[in-house]
Amino acid sequence: MATTAPPESIPAHSDDHAHDDHDHKPAFFARWFMSTNHKDIGTLYLIFAIFAGLIGGAFSGMMRVELAEPGIQYLDTFARWFGAVDPDFNATLHTWNVLITAHGLIMVFFMVMPAIIGGFGNWFVPLMIGAPDMAFPRMNNISFWMTVAGFCSLLISAFVPGGLGIGSGVGWTVYAPLSTYGSQGPSTDFAIFALHLAGAASIMGAINFITTILNMRAPGMTIHKMPLFVWSVLVTAFLLLLALPVLAAAITMLITDRNFGTTFFDPAGGGDPVLYQHLFWFFGHPEVYIMILPGFGIISHIVATFSKKPVFGYLGMAYAMVAIGVVGFIVWAHHMYTTGMSVNTKMYFTAATMVIAVPTGIKIFSWVATMWGGSLEFKSPMVWAMGFIFLFTVGGVTGVVLANGGVDDVLHDTYYVVAHFHYVLSLGAVTALFAGFYYWFPKMSGRMHSEFLSHLHFWVFFVGVNTIFFPQHFLGLQGMPRRYPDYAEAYAYWNEISTIGYMIMAASLVIWFANIIYAFTAGKKAEDNYWGEGATTLEWTLSSPPPFHQFETLPVIDEKAVH
Amino acid sequence: MIFGKHARAASRSLLALGMGLALFAAPQAATAANPAAASAALAEQAQVDDAAVAAEAQASEASAPAAPIDRMKPTEGKGMPVAKGLGLQDQYSKLGGYGAWIHDAVLMPIITVISLFVLFLLIWVVARYNRRANPVASKTSHNTLIEVIWILVPVLILAGIAVPSIDLLAKQFKPAGADALTVKVTGNQWNWSYTYPDNGEFELVSNMLNLPNYPTINNGVRVVKTDPSDGPAQLEVDNRLVLPVGEPIRMQITASDVIHSFAVPSLWFKLDAVPGRINEKTLQIDEPGVYYGQCSELCGPKHGYMPIAIEALPRDEYNAWVLKQAGGVIDGQDEAGQAADDAAGAEADAPAEGEAAQTESQANDA
Amino acid sequence: MIALIAAAAMLGLGYASVPLYRLFCQVTGFGGTTQRVTEAEAQTVAVASKTISVRFDANVERGFPWEFRPTQTTDTVTIGARDMTVYVAKNTSDTPITGTATFNVEPAYVGKYFNKVQCFCFTEQTLRAGQEMRMPVLYYVDPAILEDPEARDVEQITLSYTFHPIAGETANGLDRTASGS
Repeated sequence: MATTAPPESIPAHSDDHAHDDHDHKPAFFARWFMSTNHKDIGTLYLIFAIFAGLIGGAFSGMMRVELAEPGIQYLDTFARWFGAVDPDFNATLHTWNVLITAHGLIMVFFMVMPAIIGGFGNWFVPLMIGAPDMAFPRMNNISFWMTVAGFCSLLISAFVPGGLGIGSGVGWTVYAPLSTYGSQGPSTDFAIFALHLAGAASIMGAINFITTILNMRAPGMTIHKMPLFVWSVLVTAFLLLLALPVLAAAITMLITDRNFGTTFFDPAGGGDPVLYQHLFWFFGHPEVYIMILPGFGIISHIVATFSKKPVFGYLGMAYAMVAIGVVGFIVWAHHMYTTGMSVNTKMYFTAATMVIAVPTGIKIFSWVATMWGGSLEFKSPMVWAMGFIFLFTVGGVTGVVLANGGVDDVLHDTYYVVAHFHYVLSLGAVTALFAGFYYWFPKMSGRMHSEFLSHLHFWVFFVGVNTIFFPQHFLGLQGMPRRYPDYAEAYAYWNEISTIGYMIMAASLVIWFANIIYAFTAGKKAEDNYWGEGATTLEWTLSSPPPFHQFETLPVIDEKAVH
Repeated sequence: MIFGKHARAASRSLLALGMGLALFAAPQAATAANPAAASAALAEQAQVDDAAVAAEAQASEASAPAAPIDRMKPTEGKGMPVAKGLGLQDQYSKLGGYGAWIHDAVLMPIITVISLFVLFLLIWVVARYNRRANPVASKTSHNTLIEVIWILVPVLILAGIAVPSIDLLAKQFKPAGADALTVKVTGNQWNWSYTYPDNGEFELVSNMLNLPNYPTINNGVRVVKTDPSDGPAQLEVDNRLVLPVGEPIRMQITASDVIHSFAVPSLWFKLDAVPGRINEKTLQIDEPGVYYGQCSELCGPKHGYMPIAIEALPRDEYNAWVLKQAGGVIDGQDEAGQAADDAAGAEADAPAEGEAAQTESQANDA
Repeated sequence: MIALIAAAAMLGLGYASVPLYRLFCQVTGFGGTTQRVTEAEAQTVAVASKTISVRFDANVERGFPWEFRPTQTTDTVTIGARDMTVYVAKNTSDTPITGTATFNVEPAYVGKYFNKVQCFCFTEQTLRAGQEMRMPVLYYVDPAILEDPEARDVEQITLSYTFHPIAGETANGLDRTASGS
């Protein structure tokens, strides 16, 4: 049996099962709490991400009802929910900052990343490269549980004192010195610790993915034959590996500044608060590509599948992602245009940032070219993927606007920025997540979802999120700053529209859950390759759901294998 | 076909749902809100319209604060956000117009065309290459020419954008001359203080005016709309930053506690206030007026309640204003003043040498 | 494993960034960091014929009970010639307090041309209760500024100081957190 995997990276227990025809599923506790199976861990990640996403989404709902009209209406109630006793006005307002902090951290670290890398990555990278499992199954397990522990730490932070109120109100960017001597109390420590845990988990996950992808591909699958989703996870894993340690260092210094009297970022001891921003964004900018690149991979597969064509410009697509990853590391200071940078620095970051539009354009146009000349079938994943392409384009072009250092002077830290990054993340990454969900849900569960509900979900979601975020461009251009619980009367109109959009979006989630319930109760049993001839990657050669241990005989990829 | 059917069904139910939600949401949002706050908002609305007329009539009477405030009344819609506004605020600074031109005439058209182009391509492939129209898919997966084109065209577009963008940056960083007025802005939790080092070093603390039907936000500060010169609630302050128009001003921004950001959208100005360092940028205001802005870096609970109000006056009115301030002097920049400064500096030199040693010995003691 | 080493290297780089950034700022004057030179180095500088205006700015961190101000707002100095200015600090509290000053110059890109020979900011300063002290700064502007196309047009340099309590002092009764009005 030919294998490209070195012997030490084959899971030890695979010997025990090698001669057994049946799946040996461990008992419930051992299967779900001590899991070493990549599919089970992927499922756990997805369930966790949905749960965390609901909490993060609930926080955004609380924010949107407060913003529905000028004035402070609900924050006092919310402060009490977090355990504040008789909150004064500062504690009430502090609750707003807790909401924005928790929403940001949850959505970035505990929803998008676990779902797209932990969930889909774990599920489909081994399937797509023809590997029996991940390289380090036990490290995979501890990655997941550390993410859960991090989430718990973050939730705890919302209920313990954090300065002038309950919870940590420092923003997801945790800028010093607001996060050091600006916010006393254990809450911010818990929030930072949550980032440590999630960060360590992601670093381990990244090492696992890199090792798996580089060492465990099936015979014949060269690096230039890997499916694009695997490419995207590989690039993402490298970004994680290089970016997260910098965040870990930065927030560890925050912790010591807070608790042990160091002055890394404290001007009093010769530190520089702006250095924290450099470190944070050296991580933070690659982080946004970490969230979107696997989405690119998913979209590429879906577009190819439903066009019944191979991906247009496969190598261009793969290396565009590499280029985005590389350039992503040298543009971080465009988040800091207003910190008092010199003119040369600002010019450099303006130019470098705009360069990213080129590989991103390659991706967009390659998707369109893939569809061009195809025989398009508008099944649910395809509709989501086409929605993604358009929404991501809109989010991308506003990024080009913001890239201009001179124009950013008026848009920085306004709702224009909020609209921009929600278009690429909430409407981009999340749309890609839903696209991937509908693409692979029957493969994972063995049950078909309802195409009607999936389409309905898409259209309601599409209208909802656009109604939330498109008006925020107008608010930003008019100068409404971010992170404000209250606003001048002039901003009322578009804020109310935005809140209505939130309710439409929330309704779409109800449709989504109805669809899941439908699939599990009345859904047809899924065939091996339920999308037909366009779906060509290795996971479609397996049953739906795949066996507990797959590829006990490694598949061999021949010359004509499609990307 | 399936798609079309579903899409129609989806759009029908969506329309119904959307309308239902809209009908449901609007009254609910109004009634569910704290009734007091809701009525306050209404009252405020009425005030925006009537306050000016009503209050002007009784400005000198009891309802006015102890001393009548002699300051400019803002022009509605100038230097402040406008309701239902879609674009940038109108610009009133030297470079604001250029910046707004780059946004409105260069960037907006380009990004709109790109977005519509992608949308058009998507609609085109939906119409032309759906399964019915094109049952057999081509297998084309490479076309070097088109790939080169879609690399080169964006590069050219970006280069085109970069030219005015870099030019704007260069202009923004042109330093003010040695005789330019310097004003120092310090961000505090949660107000701004303004120092005029060239006019006698006097300092103003600028707090947001309190809001009706809110808890007291700033102690000892009156409620907004109790004076005819008051601008919009949440943007108006007790002491505005008064600046002259038509000349470059060296704005120096710092903070005394955490990071804040001094931002005035209608003047194309935003610069972070970082504790422990000073940031500098030149501002030149084109015409008199009141221009509002807000703190733009998260700085704690009352981040939303430390607005900025700039009152720009012609130079002679500015001078008159300075002389009315305690400790305000106006000759700080003319020849005589400069000479006096120099003399003072020279005097300071001689004894200071000895003190240097003293300073060091003290440091050693400590 | 290579991946593990890479992660560790980036972690190390993260920590190393603090001293590296400081060094980088000191060497390049990035962010308006001024240069520190010895008396001997200062002697070797050629005096140019042009002058430049220097503005002096003083701040204290909120709640730090010192008055701190320059004795002159601006000064016109000959480029390359050593000059001295004096700041005055006064401890308005009734306990001795040690402070330390941070500093930068604006426009930021002239930091590499602003040389300090002697400065109160090089060391910590202690003031007894009620004590007032004159604090000199001995500096010169490097004539190389006249060669730099970017910095040549600068007519005025601002030298800014901010006094902070020294680290650890915060615990001794100086409340640096928001008072909550």
